[in-house]
Amino acid sequence: MQKKTAHSFPDEILEHVFSFIQSGKDRNAASVVCKSWYEIERWCRRKIFVGNCYAVSPTMVIRRFPDIRSIELKGKPHFADFNLVPDGWGGYVLPWISKMAGAYPWLEEIRLKRMVVTDESLELVAKSFANLQVLVLFSCEGFSTDGLAAIAASCKNLRELDLRDSEVDDLSGHWLNHFPDTYTSLVSLNISCLGSDDVSFSALERLVGRCPNLRRLLLNREVPLDKIANLLSRAPQLIEFGTGTYAAELRSDVYSNLAEAFCNCKELKSLSGFWDAVPAYLPVIYSVCSRLTSLNLSYAPIQNPDLTKLVSQCPSLQRMLVLDYIEDSGLEVLASSCKDLQELRVFPSDPFGEEPNVSLTEKGLVAVSSGCPKLQSVLYFCRQMSNAALVTIAQNCPNFTRFRLCLLDPKIADYRTLQPLDVGFGAIVEHCKDLRRLSLSGLLTDCVFEYIGMHAKKLEMLSVAFAGESDLALHHVLSGCESLRKLEIMNCPFGDKALLANAAKLETMRSLWMSSCSVRLGACKMLGQKMPRLNIEVMDEKGPPDSRAESDPVDKLYIYRSVAGPRFDMPPFVWTMDEDFASELS
Amino acid sequence: MCMELQLGLALPGSDTWSRPLLKLSLYEDINVNSKKRGFDHGYLEDEFSAASFKNYEKGLVGWPPVETWRRKKLRCQVHNHMTAAENGYCGGRASNSTYVKVKMEGVVIARKIDISIHQSFEKLTTTLMTMFDIFSHFPFIFGSVDENRRSFKLTYQDKEGDWLIAEDVPWR
Repeated sequence: MQKKTAHSFPDEILEHVFSFIQSGKDRNAASVVCKSWYEIERWCRRKIFVGNCYAVSPTMVIRRFPDIRSIELKGKPHFADFNLVPDGWGGYVLPWISKMAGAYPWLEEIRLKRMVVTDESLELVAKSFANLQVLVLFSCEGFSTDGLAAIAASCKNLRELDLRDSEVDDLSGHWLNHFPDTYTSLVSLNISCLGSDDVSFSALERLVGRCPNLRRLLLNREVPLDKIANLLSRAPQLIEFGTGTYAAELRSDVYSNLAEAFCNCKELKSLSGFWDAVPAYLPVIYSVCSRLTSLNLSYAPIQNPDLTKLVSQCPSLQRMLVLDYIEDSGLEVLASSCKDLQELRVFPSDPFGEEPNVSLTEKGLVAVSSGCPKLQSVLYFCRQMSNAALVTIAQNCPNFTRFRLCLLDPKIADYRTLQPLDVGFGAIVEHCKDLRRLSLSGLLTDCVFEYIGMHAKKLEMLSVAFAGESDLALHHVLSGCESLRKLEIMNCPFGDKALLANAAKLETMRSLWMSSCSVRLGACKMLGQKMPRLNIEVMDEKGPPDSRAESDPVDKLYIYRSVAGPRFDMPPFVWTMDEDFASELS
Repeated sequence: MCMELQLGLALPGSDTWSRPLLKLSLYEDINVNSKKRGFDHGYLEDEFSAASFKNYEKGLVGWPPVETWRRKKLRCQVHNHMTAAENGYCGGRASNSTYVKVKMEGVVIARKIDISIHQSFEKLTTTLMTMFDIFSHFPFIFGSVDENRRSFKLTYQDKEGDWLIAEDVPWR
């Protein structure tokens, strides 16, 4: 007779307890306590996050979790955003949709990032998931407005449609017409990435007019400024709004209509868009400024003093995205006006120009670090930096969770001492104990990597370019950074040694990307043989890797852990170093 | 409209377009007066920075890490902005210039070529080869001019930075 322990509860009670555990990590932890907890947990998990769509197969997911309602999938490596991953690499969502169509008829949420989505996939989504409420396509590609039309026509319960930064083929301007007249559930719509003729404006107006719960509306560039007032007047309940083109001849009627429309949006907290913005129309948003918590001017060619004047009117800002037209002087004003600032991103207006076109230096960032005690997340493009500035910034902001500095000349030294920037970045990792994401740039030796390995214990993602002198640098990172999940490296002199010495570490990470480094094919083959649960993918557009000498470095290397084995959808320029490949060639 | 077209000439047998010999780019050219210049009158041009070429030649693909969609949107804006400032009026306008900037790998001086006076890709290729004296640079090329011309492929770089075969697009 089986002895019941004092700790056994009926399954229903455990399931009820588990329903309070939302975080995937916590659920994973619960599932390994014992077999019965594993079983109960898997039946009641509703939400799943797959950080690398090739780490597991859809069949495996469905087998373990029979009743998922929300899925998030990520495809291509991050460096695909910068054109480093050739077309056709992979990240196709269709296999997932096909399998889920049968297994998860109650699926409510699909969130995809950097995946190839076809019209066929979208049509299948529309047909299979009657209860779809959320569709987010973040940096996706491969689909057209036809696919969107299918979604609009069928998904009666859709609340959120977000095409953020995706590449969409414009075929027909009238996909919005496919939302039936009876459809009123829209809460969030982001079509900011759509090109010309993609949006039928009258259909948009009618849609906005009949959806009383619409809270978030991000328009595309083609929507002219003189149409905005009308649109806003139909949706005064908006919390987040992205304009279309923000330029037009100054006309007093357009101006006053706009000002009134913005004024009536009493709950507006976030503004973006502002393409081609002209200063003349900026004051129409002044009535909203005091409430704004998020402002994205990163597509607005507005310069000082108009830009600074605008910023000075937004004391509640928590999130600011802007071009470097803001200059050091504007950042000083930001620092003194916006005490709640948590996130700052400064983008380059002329990233390929050889000479600076604006006066934005390290001083601006130092000012913000000093004036904004809640600052946690920084992305900063500039042309000069000093160790002293970085040390000051680190001391001012020990709460940084994300710090990404991009010096436009990637190997530039401390402009005052001509030393490498090792000490400066060292200070960042030493003071910012909660740092989760770091991007390095500037002249950097192996030293900075020693500091990172020593101090950056919570670091999850590290991006490195044109840095380091030897394998020791890579070894420091792989052996020291306990929380490391994603490592991406370009143009660094890192070779075989550190990789092979830390092969086991790679299984604890989601992925490693190395391009234009010094890793040789032999090392890749060895890793492939040694580590069956890693997919070692070598990418080379010039020909098969074995056509080079064994001493030649591979062009691009992408290593990721997987329980699904090597993938089957590789294009001709990707080779997998699994055991078969390695033995074939030896 | 942003007019930034880059044309390139790649060696025969090269199966990747990523490193063409000759790079041409079409920029709004506010310095060209109404009198057309002959194709063999090249001149120094550093007005519109060849920085993206320079980056490429230095091997800085992927740097600075600005996302492709942001880069696309920015390019048009900066361009219009610069031109507007120089022309002294607001609201940029694409000129009708048909001058294309040509740069050859390894040669410091860029040249300009008026593509409107050429009637076909063949003629354009011949002009380019003559202009940059490809025959003296590559002594291994022998045979008639026509043969050699046929063995080169004209490529162009579109706004997204992808190199494509020029002949795939009909000549105007």
